[in-house]
Amino acid sequence: MSKKLGSGLGDFESLVKDGAVDLLNHIEVGDFSSAIKVIQELSESRHNSFYKEVGTLTRSLHDAIRDFQVDSMDLVVGEEHAGSGNTKITDASDRLKYVIELTSSAANKTMDMVDGSVPVASELQNQARELRKDWNRLIQRDLSPQEFRELYKRIDVFLKYADDSATTLHSNLNTILLEQGYQDLTGQVITRVNDLIRDVEERLVHLVAVAGRVDSISGMEHDKSEAEHDDTRGHGPAINKQNNPEVLNSQDEVDDLLSSLGF
Amino acid sequence: MKILIVDDFSTMRRIIKNLLRDLGFTNTVEADDGTTALPILQAGTIDFLVTDWNMPGMTGIELLRAVRADDKLKSIPVLMVTAEAKRDQIIAAAQAGVNGYVVKPFTAVALKEKIEKIFERIDAAK
Repeated sequence: MSKKLGSGLGDFESLVKDGAVDLLNHIEVGDFSSAIKVIQELSESRHNSFYKEVGTLTRSLHDAIRDFQVDSMDLVVGEEHAGSGNTKITDASDRLKYVIELTSSAANKTMDMVDGSVPVASELQNQARELRKDWNRLIQRDLSPQEFRELYKRIDVFLKYADDSATTLHSNLNTILLEQGYQDLTGQVITRVNDLIRDVEERLVHLVAVAGRVDSISGMEHDKSEAEHDDTRGHGPAINKQNNPEVLNSQDEVDDLLSSLGF
Repeated sequence: MKILIVDDFSTMRRIIKNLLRDLGFTNTVEADDGTTALPILQAGTIDFLVTDWNMPGMTGIELLRAVRADDKLKSIPVLMVTAEAKRDQIIAAAQAGVNGYVVKPFTAVALKEKIEKIFERIDAAK
């Protein structure tokens, strides 16, 4: 496309150069009617080459827009969505929603398991500490026969409790382990959405490139004031922190900055 | 000591709530953004505010400014727990009168440290 544009305008340029030489020659020999004819020819070819360029560009722009729409609209995804008219974009958005749901459910399930395990561990610790006190007294032969008989029973109860607790903790840890499977599932979804974004970006870049050429031919100018992203609304977690000097890398750096501000 | 936890993600609220419980703060309430947090604060029973920055509706920095601008609320200590880590943002939070700033992902130790530091300062100022 750019080649066509270049050669179109290039042809016109060489026409103008040749025409200018002809024009001078005609004027020098006093042939004014031929000179005027050359001027007319130049004027016509100027019109023609510009019309041709605008035509080519309009077609390219039209094609780029059509490609973009067709590709994003007609590729209704998967059999399961057939007929629903879902575009890849809506599908991607649904997929990302699924990531949020899955991660949220995994996080909650994991926290449920932690919530269920903490009291078990605490109780185990409490009972063990209590028993140990009396156990030490037993070692120092400081227990009455009655207390000894009680300790005997309590140790039996404790051993059963320790066994049951270990089973509970074991099962909770297993559930936590299995819940981490969300990473695989969400990873797959995000990879697909990522591919789509790259694809859309490529088409958009093409569209923008064509539109840019239309602008340069037609002399249109757009308002280029780019809105600065407002800090108040937040930016979300920073990616590639190392490459961005504006972003602090760690809690330590945050602390240093704050202490430099008198905190 | 009643603590208000403001974050738009319920899992993060739960994590903070659990960590606070481990630190001995069992009395917590939750809100999912500044807009829902303000009425809870204005009800007048909150002693400490833990807030995220990036939330729909009213953001954490806006909430912080609203708290500092309100005569009844302005002395409430505010701890920001957020993924926002731009230099300018941290400076803005400091200027708005934040008492502590913890960046996500954070550790239980970092949260504990900041909360203790805030209380130390408050006690020292008394």
